[in-house]
Amino acid sequence: MILLYRLTRFISVIFGVLLLTFLLIHLVPGDPIEVMLGESASTVDRAELRRDLGLDKPLIYQFGHYLNQLAHGDLGRSIHTKESITSLIAARYPATVKLAFVSLLIALIVGVPLGVYAALRANRWQDFIVTIISVRFAAMPVFWLGPVLMLFFAVWLGWLPVSGMDNHGAIVLPAITLGLGLSAILTRMTRTSLLEVLNDDYIRTARAKGLSARTVVLRHALRAAILPIITIVGLQMGSLLAGTVITETIFSWDGIGRLLVESIEKRDYPVTQACVLVVALSYVIVNLATDILYQLADPRMRSY
Amino acid sequence: MKWPFLFYILCLINLAACDRQVLPDNDVQNAAIKFAIAQSPLNLDPRYATDASSERICRLIYQSLVDFDASMRPIPQLATWNAVSAQAYQFNLILSRNVFHHHEPLTADDVKATYDSLVGLKDSPHASEFANIHHIAVQNQDTLTFYLKQPDAHFAEKLIIGILPKRLIEAGHDFSRQPVGNGALAFEHWQNQLRLKRVADGQEVVFHEVKDSTVRVLKLIKGEVDLIQGDLPPELVKYLQSQPDIKVLSTTGSNFSYLGLNVQHPVLSRLKVRQALAHAIDREALIRQVMVPDTRVAGAILPPEHYAGNADLRAYTYNPRMARQLLIEAGIQLPLKLVYKTSTDAQRVRFATILQAQMRPAGIDLQINSLDWGTFFSDIKHGNFELYGLTWVGIKTPEIYEKAFGSEYFTPRGVNRGRYRDATLDAFLLEKDWRSVTLRIHQQLPYIPLWYEGQFVAFNRHIKNYAPKSDGNWDDLATISHDAH
Repeated sequence: MILLYRLTRFISVIFGVLLLTFLLIHLVPGDPIEVMLGESASTVDRAELRRDLGLDKPLIYQFGHYLNQLAHGDLGRSIHTKESITSLIAARYPATVKLAFVSLLIALIVGVPLGVYAALRANRWQDFIVTIISVRFAAMPVFWLGPVLMLFFAVWLGWLPVSGMDNHGAIVLPAITLGLGLSAILTRMTRTSLLEVLNDDYIRTARAKGLSARTVVLRHALRAAILPIITIVGLQMGSLLAGTVITETIFSWDGIGRLLVESIEKRDYPVTQACVLVVALSYVIVNLATDILYQLADPRMRSY
Repeated sequence: MKWPFLFYILCLINLAACDRQVLPDNDVQNAAIKFAIAQSPLNLDPRYATDASSERICRLIYQSLVDFDASMRPIPQLATWNAVSAQAYQFNLILSRNVFHHHEPLTADDVKATYDSLVGLKDSPHASEFANIHHIAVQNQDTLTFYLKQPDAHFAEKLIIGILPKRLIEAGHDFSRQPVGNGALAFEHWQNQLRLKRVADGQEVVFHEVKDSTVRVLKLIKGEVDLIQGDLPPELVKYLQSQPDIKVLSTTGSNFSYLGLNVQHPVLSRLKVRQALAHAIDREALIRQVMVPDTRVAGAILPPEHYAGNADLRAYTYNPRMARQLLIEAGIQLPLKLVYKTSTDAQRVRFATILQAQMRPAGIDLQINSLDWGTFFSDIKHGNFELYGLTWVGIKTPEIYEKAFGSEYFTPRGVNRGRYRDATLDAFLLEKDWRSVTLRIHQQLPYIPLWYEGQFVAFNRHIKNYAPKSDGNWDDLATISHDAH
């Protein structure tokens, strides 16, 4: 029953996203025919190409045709380059996924320990310094942080490539750029959540039993404090998988975010729709994974 | 808490090992030349290429029947020609140049196949240019004649489409991703980066797309790329000029920036208002402050050195007092509110804000409307604007005056976006009296000329035989080389 409920919810979310995207992209000004043929093409040529691409049909027909294509596993072809959209996405999406996972890893490695450290030294100078650093990281825009990291690590120190994807080290700077901002949020969330738990009776009991500070924090307190952290990680992972346009642009990272923006600029409707579909699917899957993690972390959630 | 610090130190050591590569001198000479460009080419089939990168790369991969000299007069590239009649042009191929990269000879049949296929393409932006072709007759392997439906004195100048092999056209070859031509550079590979190889000596050239201008500069300084050209704000050009290992060369350009006006707008239809706008812009200050080196004030679309250019046109001087006076004489209640549309490009938005400040003392309240490119250009094409800023890139023939200002050339028939009608100008256009045409436009101001943007290139000192060109083309990639010394 739960499976059926989840499946219905999944299908309705995806359908809603598809419908909204389809309507919105057709509502914004701009026309793929004009982008393709330029200003000087004759009205006859325009009409002919519009007919060939099926853009002269009513929107409801076009949407139905698109759904039918999707049901057959066909994402269609780019209006401009004629390339298969499946291969376009297959070429771009793995790069986005890779960057998202490495960024999240960096955020977790930096953010959670710092949050724990700040909570254990709450209201002392160490907490103050961690707070300042995390607020700074959270406030730094990626279009500023990215070039600064490039200047420092790539140009001055020469340790890493400035941008691109042809070197194994190339992922480090974009991942740090994204990961630092996210780590700041995780630090704050971990600190707050852990502080609430550390004052609970069962923690006091654990301490009274003579357990070491490490065991109390890692086995008892952190486990209870992890739910809000999972929520934040889930939400952030969703946004990372949607493509991070600015970071991808700055670091010449050929991910899905850039593909989406380029397709919107060119009014390449099928590519835009396919990108949004992939992004929506990613969000749904990440949400599902977050729900499962909730249940693993907190047995009380298993009844929901 | 010691282990996290150890972990971080290990990470740093790892990072330090990631990207240290120093090439010995002899490898430098053999290495591919890496060119960072702001936008990858979208389509390398010359029948479809319209974006600047695609057109510039197509010039290197393919050759066309006709090219242009420094004063933009048509000259033979693959063929010489003569007008047999007002409606027939005969072309004779120059034999020494006629071999495709896949070693098949280029013949008149390939030329005919290229243009026949282009005319038949429904989705090509260039097809309408050649709708006047009635048929093409091949006399022999080296000679063919284009027969036209209507006389066209400028027909030869239009034959700048790269020639494709007939056999591959018929086989439905994908030229957009795997181009085959007979130009100086041959296609090698295009996965993430486009890789071309020079036919003469095997020198490879790799194009890296790097959208962000700051990152392009950093990559050049670090040596990850060898050269960059254009598309930089002036402060970055100045920064590059201060770098000891970087050489910056610049030259005057021919790409024309202007302020477009909707002359059907009740206020902008008045000449005095247009004159006021022209006097409310301090071009010299704008060029000095926010433009790259060698940018110069423009008087008309085609520069003075063009055979149809007019060197006697004097730019409107910055005089906000006179501008205000002209507005009052035109019966305008100040401040005059106008909406200026532009794209979201940072340099364009910066220019718009300066324009806004310059026009304020003249009594003009400019409101900036910055739109994404698709929406912005759609508005311009549909006449949904009061003022806008754009640049004409790569214009070669004076036909542009007819298409941009002729009364018969409102979009979609032409590019008369401002919907300008002028019987006197139409008469001059008919006579092809370019001097009178440019003067009339200068007086009537259906648009406001701004400048020809300077062209520049920046490269590492070990690069030689490359110089910027007035239209920003990359033709010198046919001669560029490393200097190991």
